[in-house]
Order: sequence, then structure tokens, then C-alpha cells
Amino acid sequence: MTSRPSLPTMGWQMVKDANRTLGGGMPAIEVMRRSFTRRGWLDDTGHGLLVAVSRFTPGTNVLAYCAGFGWRIGGMGGAAVALAAASVPGSLAVTLLSAAISRLVESPGVRAALAVAMLAAAALILSSAWALVRPYFLGARPVWAMAITLGAVVLFAAGTPPVRVLLVAAIFGAVSPAPKDAP
Amino acid sequence: MSLWLLYGLLLKATVTSFSGMGSLPQIRADLVVTHRALADDQLSQAVLVSRSTPGPVGTYVVSVGYMAAGWPGAVVGWLALVTPALAAIPLLVVVARWHHLPRVRASVDAVVVAGAAMLVPAGLQVARDALLQLRAVAGL
Repeated sequence: MTSRPSLPTMGWQMVKDANRTLGGGMPAIEVMRRSFTRRGWLDDTGHGLLVAVSRFTPGTNVLAYCAGFGWRIGGMGGAAVALAAASVPGSLAVTLLSAAISRLVESPGVRAALAVAMLAAAALILSSAWALVRPYFLGARPVWAMAITLGAVVLFAAGTPPVRVLLVAAIFGAVSPAPKDAP
Repeated sequence: MSLWLLYGLLLKATVTSFSGMGSLPQIRADLVVTHRALADDQLSQAVLVSRSTPGPVGTYVVSVGYMAAGWPGAVVGWLALVTPALAAIPLLVVVARWHHLPRVRASVDAVVVAGAAMLVPAGLQVARDALLQLRAVAGL
């Protein structure tokens, strides 16, 4: 059972969680998963559902994740608060930095700091991947999960667009034997 | 270029992509090649800026808007960035309604696993880029 925070509480937490990692949206999603599950706002099933839906939503995945989470918390108002909280700070930073880009990013110190931050982001991305598949690999369907993992990696490595890989996985999941204890 | 046209072109790019950087080819085709609203090096700088700031990489669309039309362009870019995310809500309604059915649930589970599998190459790529950048800074 999950609890529902007020919209200002959720919005402020999302401002802090969605806007503090480099390396794209997945590190931010992992930070939010940890933060929201610790507060009892989200469980693993809800997280998996949001990730799946965000993957099929056009545009930036993390914003779709935030819109979906906000909608579950507070309807359309919650979605609007979540979207603003997740996107306005980063967009402001991007706009301000756009004016001074050539001077700042050429600095070796800044570039080294960014590289270290990106390494941390890579660790978060890999941690996020493991958090998502762990229930399947450690549950009763490791072979099923391994088949999907290998299939997805092979298709992706062959240059198949991610959305098509996910569609193939969805069809495979629908036609494979029904799970007895899905997480 | 009018702000409406800028919004339309940026929205066309974001709504037809499924990842932060997936809209880049369309934006280049429309804003650099066809309308000449910005140059290739400005587009590269926009990408660099979004990789250098916290948050989604897709925010490079905001930088593109700023470079094409100043602060109003940045607002337009932000609107084009967040508009497609609202499509998650009807998708979530549909999936949640049928999620109790074993085959629908298995289908969602398979998407979660496949999506996680594709994160591994992405994570390794980010790590590789970071190590190359560190090596370049160190002059090795």
C-alpha cells in the first residue's frame, strides 16, 4: 500500500530528485525510485508500470515517468506539478548555460568534473537496470527473463530501434506462458 | 521564424521520438537544413549544454529554442519538451485497467525487462564517454 503526499510536497521532492544527476533521464528515474519508495509513495510494481509506459510514450522518457507518477498522486494537477518540477529547473540551467557555453565547457577543470559526474551517472544507470530485472531473475522466472534480456540485447545491438525491441518483447510476453508469481 | 512555427517544428521532432536525443535528426533537418534558423555548431553546443547540466538530455530542445529565438524560444522549446509527456496519462490509464490480466501483466513485465537490458549498453556508453573525456583532460 502506498501513501499520497500533498502536491507541494511531491513537487518539491521531485525538484530535488529529478534535477541532480547528469547522464540523461535513467539516473534521475533511479534516484526518484529510491526516494519515492523510501517515503512509501511508490512500490516496485508501480515503478515497473511507470517505466514500461514511459518507454512507449513519445518524447523524453523521464518526463513521461514524472507525468505518470504525478497523475497517480494527484490527477491532472499532479501531472502538471510533476512535469514542471522535473523540467523547469533543468531547462533554466540549460538556457542560462547556452549563453556562456563556449567559455565554460572548454575549461579543463569543468570538463574533468563533468566526466566524474558522468561516471556516477553510468553507475546509476546500471544500478537502475539491475533494480528493474532483479525481481524476475531472483524470482521463479529466471529463464524467461534471460530469454528476453538476450533477445533485447541482440536486437538492439543489430540496430533495431528501441521501440521495436520493446514491441517484440511485449508480444513475446503476451504469448509466453502466464507468470505465476510476477513481482 | 515565428514562435508558432518554432513550436510546431520542435513538437514534431519530440513527438516522433522515443528518447531524449531521438529528436535530433528531425530538428537538424527542419531548423538547420530547411529553415536555417540555427547552424550546425549551435546544434552541437545545444547538445553539449544538455549533457553538462543536471536533468534529462532532452532539455537540449530548450537550448535549441533559445539559440533560434532567445528567451521566448526557450519557453517554446520547454513547451515542446513537456507536451509529449502528457501522452503517458492515457497510456497509463489503459495499461492500469488491464494490468490484472496475466497476459497483459506478462507483456508489461517483458517490456520492463527488455527496457532494462537496453540500459546496459547505454550505461556503458556513458562510462566510456566519461573515461575518454577524463583521458583527454589529462592529455593522455
